[in-house]
Amino acid sequence: MILPLIILYVVTLVYLSITERFRNFASLIGLQGWLLFAIALVRLHAINPAELTFICLETLLFKGILVPGLLFAVIRRTKTNRVYRSGSPQSGSLLLSLVALAASASLTYCIADSTVDLVFFGVALYALLSGLILIVLRQRIFSHMIGFLVIENGVFLFSTAIGVEMPLLINFAILLDILISVLMLGIFFMKIDSKLHADDADSLTHVKD
Amino acid sequence: MIAYLIASILIAAATLAVRRERQLFLAGILFYAVQAAFAAAILAGGLYGTASTEWFAFDAAGTLFYVLLCIVSGFAYFHSEAYLRGNDLRHIRTYSALVMLLTTAIAGAYFASNLAVTWIFLEATTLCAAGIVYHRRTGHSLEAAWKYVFVCSTGIAMAYLGILLLAAATKCESLQYEAVAAAVPGANALYLKTAFLLILCGYSCKIELFPLHTVGIDANFAAPSPASALISTGLVNAGFLALLRVYRLLSASEVFPWVRSVLVIVGVLSLVIGALFLRRTNNYKRFLSYSTVENMGIAALGLGIGGIGVWAAVFHVVCHTFIKSSLFLQMAVVRQVYNGYRINRIGDYIHINRVGAVGLLAGMVALVAFPPSPLFLSELMILGETIAVGKWWLVACMLLLICIVIYSFCARMIRLCYQPNQDELHPSKADRALSWSALSLLVAALVLGLWQPDFLKELIDRIATL
Repeated sequence: MILPLIILYVVTLVYLSITERFRNFASLIGLQGWLLFAIALVRLHAINPAELTFICLETLLFKGILVPGLLFAVIRRTKTNRVYRSGSPQSGSLLLSLVALAASASLTYCIADSTVDLVFFGVALYALLSGLILIVLRQRIFSHMIGFLVIENGVFLFSTAIGVEMPLLINFAILLDILISVLMLGIFFMKIDSKLHADDADSLTHVKD
Repeated sequence: MIAYLIASILIAAATLAVRRERQLFLAGILFYAVQAAFAAAILAGGLYGTASTEWFAFDAAGTLFYVLLCIVSGFAYFHSEAYLRGNDLRHIRTYSALVMLLTTAIAGAYFASNLAVTWIFLEATTLCAAGIVYHRRTGHSLEAAWKYVFVCSTGIAMAYLGILLLAAATKCESLQYEAVAAAVPGANALYLKTAFLLILCGYSCKIELFPLHTVGIDANFAAPSPASALISTGLVNAGFLALLRVYRLLSASEVFPWVRSVLVIVGVLSLVIGALFLRRTNNYKRFLSYSTVENMGIAALGLGIGGIGVWAAVFHVVCHTFIKSSLFLQMAVVRQVYNGYRINRIGDYIHINRVGAVGLLAGMVALVAFPPSPLFLSELMILGETIAVGKWWLVACMLLLICIVIYSFCARMIRLCYQPNQDELHPSKADRALSWSALSLLVAALVLGLWQPDFLKELIDRIATL
């Protein structure tokens, strides 16, 4: 049951590397939230029911509803819909993303250890690399935010892999979401838009040597 | 510990509600009285060496760095009062509350005895520091705050992935440092290496080490100078301590030689970046921040070399705390005089504020590790250990880079004191009392260079024992 969900999650990561519409970004992050909710539900069914309910509700509320909702609010407020200035062509992004996928799979194969669920580890590593690629290649701040959320979702996915033993770790991962996503999306992005009228990372280069 | 956290947070919350500047001063007195009482309870009240709940422990490392934090934070808070005089009270009280919360979060990170708790408090420091960086509410401060939150959050997320990997590799049921250290010897080496890399990269934004050192520099640049004194010492020490704890728990594993090699590489790269950008930058606050990168690079080299290098690294960080905070506080007075920090424009400081200029020149001598600077001792120890292990290429590299640092420091600081001033002076006069106050921190560092008290040696011995 978990494997199809994880494959779908990997597909969202590949799609994120080629899409250029902000609405698609927000929808994919929302879809990842729902997938993580389903994965947590299936993966952690053996833990204490109260803890399972708490984790699943938190995941659904923050990753599946609140964060995508905030992303759509930002899109509406800033009235920007497309990555009109991509730092690299889509084919380049796709190629890099596939290289990252191959690298993650190779490292996972090299580890070949039974202590961790290797599928979770490989996908989390791929999510980390995908997020970093988005941050480095794309110029718009919105894309950087998406890159950060992708990394965070990857971390959360990996925390569910070992969360059977330590559910507290998953709560910490969700804490990271609540603290940072809401702060970054809700406050700073709005302020940057109103104060600097800048949604391009190129505009944020005044503080330098 | 829980009582301490609650008391500190309540005072910070009360600070948000004050209506007069005098009340801010009183809130500061109350907050630092709590800090002093807590430090006294640890040192003299029997808390030292004990644990508080399952999350905190009052060990040697936490205690030493907490005492330093109390001193630096107290100086930063009361210097801020003078520095921010005349600003909007709402902004000042938010700033003051954030300084208190940042101090509390750093203290939590120092005393955490659990990997995840350390991580949570470091994450909390990001939120507090970002608010402080945004204090001026200008475009520059917003940009610096955005970059700080974004890069630190990405780094912290990476570090969390590393912690998860460490937990998975050791199959521990808790993330207590002791429990993980006990389970590390049998863990998969590749997992441990990947975990260490992720944790090092993630925490490098706090330690101001390569590769995520840039955000710390931008944050120091945009934050008010007294807050920069706290960020570039207390907060940097929190990251250093978090890394040191991971370093210690990996010391029993087969990957330890590899971990040390990584630290040597990161240390050299930080030293290179620090040395080169000290020549390039045209802003005194960024200049001091690059000096932090350089000094933390030296500390990382000490950890990487091992042996007496670990002792030297801890001693280096302790003394750097006094020297760097003193220099940042002196810079606050410099801004009072010139209303800016432009290296190629401002000068003649020796005739404007003799005490401040002496403080800066003495700070320069201390920071470039001329005797009797305590950094001379630590750098000599690290160099000696590097020679002892036969890494001559590293010795040559360090000496070359340290020469560049010495040249840059002398050229820039002498320029500030003696070159003709080309900027208009700010109408307000330099506050010499603040210069004297900042100088006292430097004197404390110089005393440590000449004489190290036994209790300090004992604490560092315990911290450096692997």
